[in-house]
Amino acid sequence: MKCDTFYLIGMYTKTIMKSWFQYKIDAVLRSLAVFLREATGIIVIYFTLLKFDTLNGWNLYEMLFLFSFLFVTYGILILFFTGLRDFGDTVRNGNFDRFILRPRGLLFQIIFINADWFAAIGHGCLGIALFIISAGKVGVEWNVISIFYAIVTIVGGVFIQGAIFLFLATLNIYLLETDSLKEIFYWNMRKFAGYPISIFHKGIQMIMIYIVPFAFVNYFPVQFLLRKADMAQYPSLFMYMTPLVGAGMYLLAYGFWRLSLKYYKSSGN
Amino acid sequence: MENLIEVKNVSKTFKVNKRANGIPGMVANLLVPKFEQKQAVKDISFSIKEGEMVGFVGPNGAGKSTTIKMLSGILYPDSGEIKVNGYVPYKQRKDYVGSIGVVFGQKSQLQWDLPVIDSFELLKAIYRVPEKVYQRNLERFTDMLNMGGFINQPVRQLSLGQRMRADIAAALLHSPRIVFFDEPTIGVDVVGKEKIREFIRELNRKDKVTMLFTTHDMQDIEKTCNRLIIIDKGSKVYDGTLFGIREKYGTTRQLDVEFKDNCEIEPIKNVEIKQIDELDGRKKRFIFENKDVQINELMNELLAKYNVRDLNISEPEIESIIRKIYSGKDVVL
Amino acid sequence: MMLKPYFAFAKKSFLKRSAYRFNHLMSIFNTCLQIFIFWGIYKALYGDRTEVDGITMSMVTTNFILSMGLSAVFYVDDYFLPSKIWDGSIANELLRPVSFKGKMIAENLGNAAFNFVFQFVPALLICVWTIGMKPPASPQMFVLFLVSAILGYGVLWSISFAVQMTAFWLVNIWSLTTIKTVFINVLSGSMIPLWFMPEWMRGVLQFTPFSSIYFTPVQIYLGQLSLQEICFQYLVQILWIIVIYFVGNLLWIKGQKKLVVQGG
Repeated sequence: MKCDTFYLIGMYTKTIMKSWFQYKIDAVLRSLAVFLREATGIIVIYFTLLKFDTLNGWNLYEMLFLFSFLFVTYGILILFFTGLRDFGDTVRNGNFDRFILRPRGLLFQIIFINADWFAAIGHGCLGIALFIISAGKVGVEWNVISIFYAIVTIVGGVFIQGAIFLFLATLNIYLLETDSLKEIFYWNMRKFAGYPISIFHKGIQMIMIYIVPFAFVNYFPVQFLLRKADMAQYPSLFMYMTPLVGAGMYLLAYGFWRLSLKYYKSSGN
Repeated sequence: MENLIEVKNVSKTFKVNKRANGIPGMVANLLVPKFEQKQAVKDISFSIKEGEMVGFVGPNGAGKSTTIKMLSGILYPDSGEIKVNGYVPYKQRKDYVGSIGVVFGQKSQLQWDLPVIDSFELLKAIYRVPEKVYQRNLERFTDMLNMGGFINQPVRQLSLGQRMRADIAAALLHSPRIVFFDEPTIGVDVVGKEKIREFIRELNRKDKVTMLFTTHDMQDIEKTCNRLIIIDKGSKVYDGTLFGIREKYGTTRQLDVEFKDNCEIEPIKNVEIKQIDELDGRKKRFIFENKDVQINELMNELLAKYNVRDLNISEPEIESIIRKIYSGKDVVL
Repeated sequence: MMLKPYFAFAKKSFLKRSAYRFNHLMSIFNTCLQIFIFWGIYKALYGDRTEVDGITMSMVTTNFILSMGLSAVFYVDDYFLPSKIWDGSIANELLRPVSFKGKMIAENLGNAAFNFVFQFVPALLICVWTIGMKPPASPQMFVLFLVSAILGYGVLWSISFAVQMTAFWLVNIWSLTTIKTVFINVLSGSMIPLWFMPEWMRGVLQFTPFSSIYFTPVQIYLGQLSLQEICFQYLVQILWIIVIYFVGNLLWIKGQKKLVVQGG
């Protein structure tokens, strides 16, 4: 990394902020909107558990704790990966060609031209708020080991989701439209991820563990800390694998990206 | 002088999804998509020397944009070689692109919501343009392109002509040696076009910037380029000077004659007229091959036999010559 | 009124959707998946119980299939106007000899028609086959359900219409639109059956338009409402359409004036 890279990141960020503040009301409401949108699932589970008390043995606070891992990782993720999330548009409207014409790394440009600070704040705050509300009430003993474990798995969780984004972004090079794929393999799987995966059909559990491994973003890490009864049906090794899954998936996705770039240049769009 | 751009036997083929029309066609396409191969560029070769200004024309879908994309490194050629400024564009991307500028008339690279100057500042950081060079270029371009009035306005409020000028400046801030223009005057009004052409000429003359540009507007070419490359259906059909194209294809001449009264023209001995068109009033247009016809013989004959009020001889316009080349009529290649 | 151009708009947007073959197959899957998630959650919540507060699991399932299925049909392009204000094309659009609002409705309906045929129907079949749902309480109730569903679409459309009109002033309305969607998701009964909302929430909801989008049709389908109640609910739906559309239209008139005065 050359030192002017940081200067350029600063310039990109400044440009993004300036663009958003051209529409002041929207900018002010933006974080709130993200916060509310993401809180939808939580509001729903809140109302639901007012009526039903527990979901497969998980009470409200445990559920919030499970959600908090999802949001904290996403808050970090979205700061760096908005551009990959929206990569389809970038290819379709020809901006990707423009990136190729600039003397900077492609992935670098995709990531930093779009970093979504407001979304990061919205998700991050929600995650942290959930964590603070629930962490003291779920019976976890917070010591050096559990704190270290939490940090490492959060980083791993960011990379798992980053790899999914990168993989789905890369598919845009081959397919005209991938919004629905993204909808299914990311957004919908993420909706499942808010809940203990043990309540779902076996097939969906398989997908959540082996294909779009959201289970390693929050369910298994939280199980390490809470040890709920439903963990008995999974190998306990799963509780330690998050960083490994993250690193492995990211490398794979990155390789696929490099390969596809070559294809893009030979096929056009 | 050395060749700055070298293109050798380059070809490129795309796979396109063929769609049938209507609702039944849609259902069929949903189930069994059909693809067909489309050869966009067929075995094209040419070279361009430093400081040249070359017009690149052809009908829609002739392969102009594909060629520009290959030259700028966005696409690989299927076969053949491209070398620009000593680089292979699609291989040495990061080193190469700093030396070129690309203007896509259809696609702005400016930040839509922000004042023009903000996009310039960002580009300065992206291309690592030294402060001094940046200030000098900015001042110069602002002056030459008359951008002073709108440089602090958001891009979305600019007219098409203003936006295009700003886009051209944006592509040149890093002082590229070579600039590719893809339809730089599309949709711009007459005055705006003239400004853009003037700027392009000036830049070529003073800075020796090498330029290649595609356009549909022959005026662009006539007023800026000294050389012309015509491609049609992916193949190069002409490469030479603007003058040369008249020599080679524009061999017909036309003589417009206004008579004092209505008359029938009888065949003229020794003079082979290809065609006589009736124009409005009592005017007739005589079209003939320059080499076959002695112009004074024809004029003498007409003046002697008929009551002539006015005479006017002209060459066909470059645009109509080129259109003839596309359609293949009257031209043996 | 000449309807021909509007049919053309509707047909065009219908056909346009077909360009994205893959996208569209995925959307079906997508809708089903959404339904499966909530079905899974409620199966776990119900456990061995056959009913909670008189609501059986199959009623819950039917609620999710219908409300989520309908939400797949109920297409409204929330950025129809904003995108045209943002890129400045609104000025040209308004000069055309067709009604802009008419075009907006036509294109949305074209999309809704596409969604109905190619998404709702297949998704419904998949869900009925996999998790099953209750048949309508009676053929009459089914017809009454359809009417109510169309009115529900009217309510949803007018909410979007009114929100879009704020773009004349705000230009970029991503945030407002997102917040609007949150309200609809939580309060319309598509993510949590409104039977299970706390009493006080249900009280509040009576005074909002949200429950009349999906929950009212679902209740009619399940035969939970008497004819008298159905008539009353229709009135509520119509009232909401009128009130919200009126507000939106006011903004629309003012917004156009602003556009003329300021030139964009």
